[in-house]
Parts: sequence; C-alpha cells; structure tokens
Amino acid sequence: MSETRKQLHRRRFLKSALTATGAAVMAPTIIPSSALGRDGAVAPSERVVIGGIGIGRRGTYDLSCFLEQPDVQFVAVCDVKEARRTAVKKIADTQYGNQNCATYRDFRELLDRSDIDGVLIATGPNWHATAAMTAAKAGKDMYCEKPVTKNISQSLILAETMRRTGRVFQAGTQRRNLPHFAFACELARTGKLGKLTKVYAHPMGMQALMSGWLPAEPEPDQEVVDWNMYLGPAAWRPFNPKLLDGFNFEKGGGFVGAFNGGGVLEWGSHCVDLCQWAVGDCLPPVEYNAPKDGQLVARYENGTELIFRETGWIPLGSCPVRFEGESGWVEAGDSGKLVLSSPALLAGRTVEEIGGYPATFHVRDFLDCVKTRSQPKGNADAACNAHIACHAANIALHLGRQVKYDNVTHEFIDDEAANRLRSEALREPWRL
Amino acid sequence: MQINRSVTRFVVSLVAIAAMATASVRAAEDQKASAEKEKELLAILRSDSPKAEKAITCKLLAIHGSSESVSDLAELLADEQLSSWARIALEAIPGSVADEALRKAAASLEGLLLVGTINSIGVRQDANAVDLLATRMKDSDAEVASAAAVALGRIGNESATTTLRDSLATAPVKVRSAVAEGCVLCAERLHAAGKSDEAAEIYDEVRKAEVPQQRIIEATRGAILARNEEGIPLLQELFHSSDKKMFQLALGTVREFPGGTVDKALATELASATPDRAALIIQAMADRPETVVLAAVLQAASDGPKEVRLSALNALGRVGDATCLSTLLDAAIEADTDLSLAAKASLAELPSEKVDAQIVALLPKADAKSYPLLIELVGQRRIDAVPELLGALDHSDDKVRSAALAALGETVSLKRLSILVSQVVAPKHPEDAAVAQQALKAASVRMPDREACAAELAVALDRASGATKSTLLEILSDVGGTKALTTLGAAAKSADPELQDTASRLLGKWNGVDAAPVLLDLAKTAPAEKYQVRALRGYIGLARKFTMSDPDRAEMCQKALDISRQPAEQKLVLDVLALHPSAEALTLAISAMQTPGLKQDATQATLVIAQKIGGKVDVSEQLAKAGLDKVKVEIVKAEYGAGSTQKDVTAVLRKHVGDLPLIALTSSNYNTSFGGDPVPGNVKRLRVQYRLNGKAGEASFAENDLIILPMPK
Repeated sequence: MSETRKQLHRRRFLKSALTATGAAVMAPTIIPSSALGRDGAVAPSERVVIGGIGIGRRGTYDLSCFLEQPDVQFVAVCDVKEARRTAVKKIADTQYGNQNCATYRDFRELLDRSDIDGVLIATGPNWHATAAMTAAKAGKDMYCEKPVTKNISQSLILAETMRRTGRVFQAGTQRRNLPHFAFACELARTGKLGKLTKVYAHPMGMQALMSGWLPAEPEPDQEVVDWNMYLGPAAWRPFNPKLLDGFNFEKGGGFVGAFNGGGVLEWGSHCVDLCQWAVGDCLPPVEYNAPKDGQLVARYENGTELIFRETGWIPLGSCPVRFEGESGWVEAGDSGKLVLSSPALLAGRTVEEIGGYPATFHVRDFLDCVKTRSQPKGNADAACNAHIACHAANIALHLGRQVKYDNVTHEFIDDEAANRLRSEALREPWRL
Repeated sequence: MQINRSVTRFVVSLVAIAAMATASVRAAEDQKASAEKEKELLAILRSDSPKAEKAITCKLLAIHGSSESVSDLAELLADEQLSSWARIALEAIPGSVADEALRKAAASLEGLLLVGTINSIGVRQDANAVDLLATRMKDSDAEVASAAAVALGRIGNESATTTLRDSLATAPVKVRSAVAEGCVLCAERLHAAGKSDEAAEIYDEVRKAEVPQQRIIEATRGAILARNEEGIPLLQELFHSSDKKMFQLALGTVREFPGGTVDKALATELASATPDRAALIIQAMADRPETVVLAAVLQAASDGPKEVRLSALNALGRVGDATCLSTLLDAAIEADTDLSLAAKASLAELPSEKVDAQIVALLPKADAKSYPLLIELVGQRRIDAVPELLGALDHSDDKVRSAALAALGETVSLKRLSILVSQVVAPKHPEDAAVAQQALKAASVRMPDREACAAELAVALDRASGATKSTLLEILSDVGGTKALTTLGAAAKSADPELQDTASRLLGKWNGVDAAPVLLDLAKTAPAEKYQVRALRGYIGLARKFTMSDPDRAEMCQKALDISRQPAEQKLVLDVLALHPSAEALTLAISAMQTPGLKQDATQATLVIAQKIGGKVDVSEQLAKAGLDKVKVEIVKAEYGAGSTQKDVTAVLRKHVGDLPLIALTSSNYNTSFGGDPVPGNVKRLRVQYRLNGKAGEASFAENDLIILPMPK
C-alpha cells in the first residue's frame, strides 16, 4: 500500500471511527486553496495564531507538533521559569527566522492579546483546569495537556465552561487520534466484539505521591522563578526547589496522607479515556469497588465492567487497553500493535497497516476544529467523563471500599466521606 | 447533556451533605470515626505546631471536620500562608456554621484573602450571602468586586440575579466583565430550569452592555439557544457578520441547536455564503446527520468553487446516501487529485446497502475510466461480487486486473481462497504476481478459520516454485495458528537453504509461546548453526516477553542455557531472569555463576534478583552459599549531573544502602529519585565514591543505569 493511500486510509478510518457514535466528527483538513499564497505558505487570514503556556518537556514535544503545521503561527510563550521562556522563544524564533516570539511571566497578559486564537497549555497538572477555564473566559481555544482536572468538581465545571463560552477544547489525550487505538475502540463500540462485557485500563502505579509542604529555601528572583505563579491555584507553601517538578506537583487525585500525587490519574487520563471511548463515551461508571488482588473493578450502568489492573497484560508497550465482548477481544498498546481474538476482526487489514504513530493527528484535529468549530476527539465532555472515572476510582482507593456514583446528581450515594473528596478550594485569587 | 445541568446540582449538593449523611449506617460510622479524628486534628491546630503541620491538618479537616472545627479554621482566613489551606476545609464542611464563618470573614478581610473567601462563598452557593456580596460588588478593589459578581452568579437565586442585572450598566468598567459573567451564569441556570424567556432577557441585556466581546459571545449563544426556533434569525445574523468571531460562534452554536428547522436555514446560508465560509458551513451541516438538508450538500459537491466542493465531497461520506453515488463517482475520476481523493474516500464510506447494489450493477456497463474505480470500491466496501471480479481478472488492462485482485483480497471467503492461491502459484500474467501475493495475504489474515486457511496454504506450498514458497511461508506466519507453526517448523528443517532461512526468520519473531517447542527443537537440530542461534534467540525472546508462571519461565531459561554455546545468548537468558525475578530465577542465576566466562554477568543478575525479591524471601543463605556474603557498603560521595552542574546526591544513595553492593532507588528514573533533573536536556552521569568492606572504589553510571558497585581491587 502506498504511503498516500495509507494516510488516506487512516484518516478515513479515524473519521468513520467517530461517525459511528454520531457524537463527534473529525473535520477534514480544510485549507482552501484561496488561502494559500504563491509560495505555498498559508495566508495570514487563515493562520491559527497560537501562544504557549508552561512549555516544559512535554510541552516542547507538543509545540513541535504545532510548528509542523503550515497554518500555525506561534507568537508568544508564557512560563514562570525564565529558562523555559528563553528556550521556547529560541525554538519559535529559529522556526520563523525572526525575534518576534513574545515572552510573559503571567499568562493573563498573554491571554489579553487579541491576535491570539488559541493556546497550548502544558503547565504542570496543578494549573491545567484553572488555566484552561481562564483561557476560555478570555475567548481562546485550547489544547490542554492531561490530566486535565484535579477532581470531580473541576471536571464538571470544565465541560460546562467550554460549552458556555463556545470554545474548542482538546485534551492532550493524543491516543484518541492514533489509528490502532481508534481501531480497537471502534471494534468495541460497534459491537464487533459482541456485547461488551469488560474494558481494561492500565493506570500504572495506583498510588499517590507526596507534594506537600517542604522546608523553606531561599526563593529565587521572581524573574527567574515566579513562585507565586508556580503555586497558582495550589494552597500556599514556601519555596522549595524539590517542588519545581511541575509534572508531579499537586497533580490531583490523591488525598490526605499521600495527597495530590496522581493515583490512577496520570495514566488513567489516557487509558481510562480510551475505555470510555470504547464504551461509546457514555457517562462514567456508577460503582467502584475496593481494590483487590491488584485490580479495581468499576461497573457502568449497563453492567459493563471497567477494570483498572497492573498486571496480566500482553507486552504491547505502555498504556495498554483491552476490550472484551461476548464474542471476541482486542488488546492494544503504545507499541502500535494490536492483538485480537481472531484475525477476522481485522476485516482484511493488517496490524501493520492500521498501526503507526502519527502523533501530529491530535494537534491537527484541534486546529481543524478551531476553524470548523466542530468538536475534537479529546473534547471537554469526553475528558470530563474519563476524568470523573479516574477521580472516583481514586476515591475508592483512598477509602478502601466501594463507592457508588450518581451521574445525574454527580454525588456519591449516601456517602459523605466520598462526597467531600469531590472538590477542593483554590488559592486566592483563582476561581473556576 | 446531563453534565450541563448537573454542575449546579453538584454544587448545591455540597451544601446538603449533612442531611444525606444520616441516611446510612456507614455514614454514621464514618461520622463517629471522624469525630474522634477531628479532636486530634483540632489539638494540632490549637497547638504551637509548625505551619506545615497545620496546613496538612486543614486538609484532613476537609474530610473529618465538622461545625466544631469551623471557628478554628476561620481564624486562619486572615493568615496569608494558611488561608488557602483553611478554605479547603471550610468549603467542604457541611452546614450553616461554615457559611456564617465565611460571611463573617468576608465582612472584614481585604485584598486577596477577601477574594479567596468570596470565591469560597460562591462555591458553597450561600444564598444568605447575597446582600454581603452585593455590597462587596461595589468594593473599590476591582478584584474583590469581580469575585463578588461571579459568586452571585454561582448562587444564581432571584435576588442574586436581580442584583447582577441592576449592576450591569453601572458597574465600573473593570468589574463589568465579571458582572456579565455572573449574569450569564444566572441565565444558564434559568434556561436549564425551563425559564427560557427570562434567560433570553438577561442574555439580551448582556449583549447590549459595554462588556468584552467574549461575554457578548457567551450571551449571544445563550440568546439563540434560549429562544429555540425564534433564535434562528439571530443565528443568521451571525452568519452574515463581518466579524470572524461571530461567524465562528454561529458555526459552533448551530451544532447545539435542536430540531430540524435550523438545517433549512443553513442550506439557505450556504447558497449565499462566500466560498471560504460555505466550506465551513457544509462541515457544520454534516455534523447534524439526522436533519441535514442533503440536497444542498449534494449540489455544493457537484459544481462551484473547489474549496466548497472539497468540503461537500468530504461531508457526503458522512451524511450521504445512494442518491449521491453518481455525483461522487463523477468527482472521483476528475483530473483534480484533491477532488478525486476526497470523492474516493467518501465513496468508500458512503452509508446504505443500496449503494453496494448500485456499484455492482454499474460494473458491466462501466467505461475504461470508471471500471477500475468501481472494482476498487467493491474491495473497499467489501461487496460480495466475486463472479464480477473473476471476469475482470482476464481484462487486458493491468490496472483493471490489479484492482480486481486487490478487491478479491478484501472479499473472498475461505471457499474461494483457492482463486487467489492459483493467482500466486501460477499467475496468468507474471506482472500481476506481486499484487496477487498482497491480495492473498490480505484475504488469508482475515479468515475466521485460520487453521483451515493455513491448511490450504500448506498444500499450495508443495506445488509452488522457490520464491513463491517463501511468499507463502510469510503469509502463513501472518495467519498464525498450529498448522502454520508446524508447516514453518518443517520448512526450517527442509533441505532447501532458502526455506530454512525464511522459515527460521519467521519463527524467530513468532508472537506466541506456542512456538516454544518448535524453536527449541530447531535450536538443537536446525540444518545450519546460524539458524540454530536464530531459533534460540527467538526462544529466549518468548521467555522474556510473555506472561507465564515463574517455574515455567525458569524451565525455559534452563533449557536455553543448556543448549547455549555462546556468551551472547547466555547473557540474554540472564537478562530474562533479572527482568522476571523469582526464587527459581535466583537459583538458576546462582547456578550460572559456575559457567566459565559467565560469572560476572551471572553475579550481577543474582544481585539484581536478590535485591528485588529480598523483601519477600530470605535469600541470605543462598547468597552466602554462592559466595556473595553480605558486604559493608559506605557511600563517600555521589554526584549526579553533567559538566560543571553536579547535584550532590550522597544523602539519597546513603538512604538506600543495604548489605549488598547494589543500590536500588525508589524509582528507576534517576531524575525522580534525585528530586528533579539538575540539567534538563543534557546527558547526565552518576559518579559514586564508595567503600566496600573498607576498600575504596569509584564508579560512574549512565543515566538510569542499575547501580551495582564493583568490588574494589
């Protein structure tokens, strides 16, 4: 199969994978020819002007995916760390051969710019939801890294805010745009495995980490590290360089004793998200049992089980998922491979043909939706449901017992202890 | 969507938790346990404990606290360092006492601490705070006033709504955006509750106010949706707006719009829109598959500006039906590649079984240009039309024959697989051989009964020529299963060197433990040593990759060691043992220490295994017998970094020192274990000065390497 045909096949497949739900549709790459200049560059009126907020290691990778797109103009970066502002400016300026990338320490100044259409939010998870909702209220679309929220309340308000403000939101759940995962989810969702009975996620480390209050150390100059802005919505604590690892700081999902360290959230926001897609992006499970023998079993309203487990996986790379129906099963992982109960499920395709890792699809999906105003695959409703499943599982883990969740009231049923863990106050002046 | 309305319910429910808590026995038990815990926590809060401890205590009180804790927590609201921690608890503790405490604090605090307190009042939706917030909305501090406005929006009762509406025109410019946000929140709540007329009034007020454009966008969206079909004229206004953001709002809002009337309006807009906007309107139309006006999309696909046609052709793949077939077929054979590809993609996806029947019916009368396209579609859509495809195999045009072979690959059943086998083993047209092989592979790997499929391919092997035999073996490897495995095993031991090579290579990458006996046999008896090594490596790979019991894995490793003649394979086995540590693996690794030339690697594997399982099993006796007595480890100095930037990690290493010359950190990632990356983006090393049983040594490790300290000489 030629490369062109493969690409066409994959895009077509991804599209059909979505239309099967009727919920969201992948928009095509529509860059009208009239928008193209003679040199092939995209005319200014058709460019999507992007700013970056908190561009560390992962953000730099995301940024590279944005910079590959001909219709992206990256014009500004905000970071609380001077070293990161300088490094990202250098990347952007090198890309464009100028010195035009503006730098900011406070992302609100970047959001004030009327020329910026959308933002890439790749801060630590502590900031994700707050920054996303601030950006939405400032009229920006956004690609926001995961985990997107720190608790159930944030997940609900995120979905509501994106809808109210009419913004395009794409969570950094890029596996939704990887063909082999999309294929596996489509098999599950469209009944090709028979009635779906179990979906499995690998949260990889179902325990939380500490990021509490460490001894004070001399605070750097605000220009070097703006500690106040780094803390952002997290409760106050003195400066300590060990907390500067934004990736793990106040990630959410962990609780007292070993709080704010992620639990199932770090990887769950990917693999549980895929399970959610496999079950048709329905509302999250209604029952979460106490962990037992290295796994936690949750149950959807229709009886399908969502199983968080650490072991028992076919070696297919990180972030494996497995979907089991009454007549077949499929397992997929980051290696790009699929293992199926029967080759018939491939319907004439080969695993090699389906696989591959075109990670820029997810960014492209976002940019297309910025233009068409359609819903990208990692939209706020999908992210909300997947994150609630992770948060509720974390609460069951923390309490060490079963919790039951009501998807209408968004309360745990007759369970004050669990209900108190649905939300957490933000440090002043931040609000959602 | 349920989420929309439930946000409100969710916040309300936080306040109502106390009543709910008495509903179950568990709740009562929880309360009892929490009451005990609360006493302990309050004692800390009232003591001279460091602030760090009080901060964590606040967080614990969010779980265990009751009204009893409120006054102590409220005292912290004026503390710049602990206020945010105190509010974590105060937002979570149910009951009016916490509300009263927050209101009281909001009456006296200033600046950011006041902002935070007001935010918490908003989260708790304290209806009794409306008067206080109304006053605070007039505060000279714009941040305070804005927080009060949004909190009123979150409360959203009648008096809060009235207060916000009354302030919309008069609030200072800096506060007006927040007042508008509050108004929109109130309107959303009213609309969700079915009071759409009142909601529309509020949205209109915001639209007319001098507020930032984003607030107007939110209000305009609401104004359209709250009016239902009566909102369509306003929606159409947006489609005509010269403001790109308003046009975008129209595109987004129309996707949320209920009913089918708006689809007719969209079709009207499409007819008069500029090409760039028309292309986007079509995408919005296609996102409403239940009610789309298909004729309008079809017309747009037929002729007109290229960008509009491209968008429409794409949309037809999602929302089209049999009536769209001829338009798409015509476009698919146009000279313009973009249009042709878009049409082909949609033809492959076009819903409806009628389409399949029409495509087959068109085949006999197709002209030279459309014949290969139709055949290609038979394959892509997996239409059962084998007789028609067979006829095409004799066509003089090689493009037609290729398309027919590919389509057969996508559609033949097991009963007709022989058609493709024949095309591979004895092709009528030699130039079609490669396509035929690809088609046979495509057909074979999708056969539900892979054993029957493999049997047919195995039979074909006997009558195939040399190169074709290899191709069939490749296909068998893709099919998998018992028959394929035994056929490959036999081929690997055949007299034909080419088959030996192909079969042993394919078996070496077989993805299942069922290949273990075949590979082990080949490792001993393959006709050439290089194939024995290949088979052995494949065998070891199975032990490494697949889930199995510890004894089974150890047995495989033992067998592999027994027949390994080269250190390279022996080391691979040791890697497997270290990767899957167990008591059995330890025994085997210790035993391997006796193998000449393997002592160092086996010792290292032994240490790694012992370290990993040491917490569960007493391994000291086994280690002592192996001559690996306990050793006194002292870390003199350890640094991690690159160039002149070195981080002192001596203390971290000392913390993990045991009685073996192996240091297992909390994470295999050095950056995680050492509290962050000292030099991001640079290649780092860990340098360690140490003493083992008093003897000084020094070692250097690449990032994330296993830390095994060599015995100093």
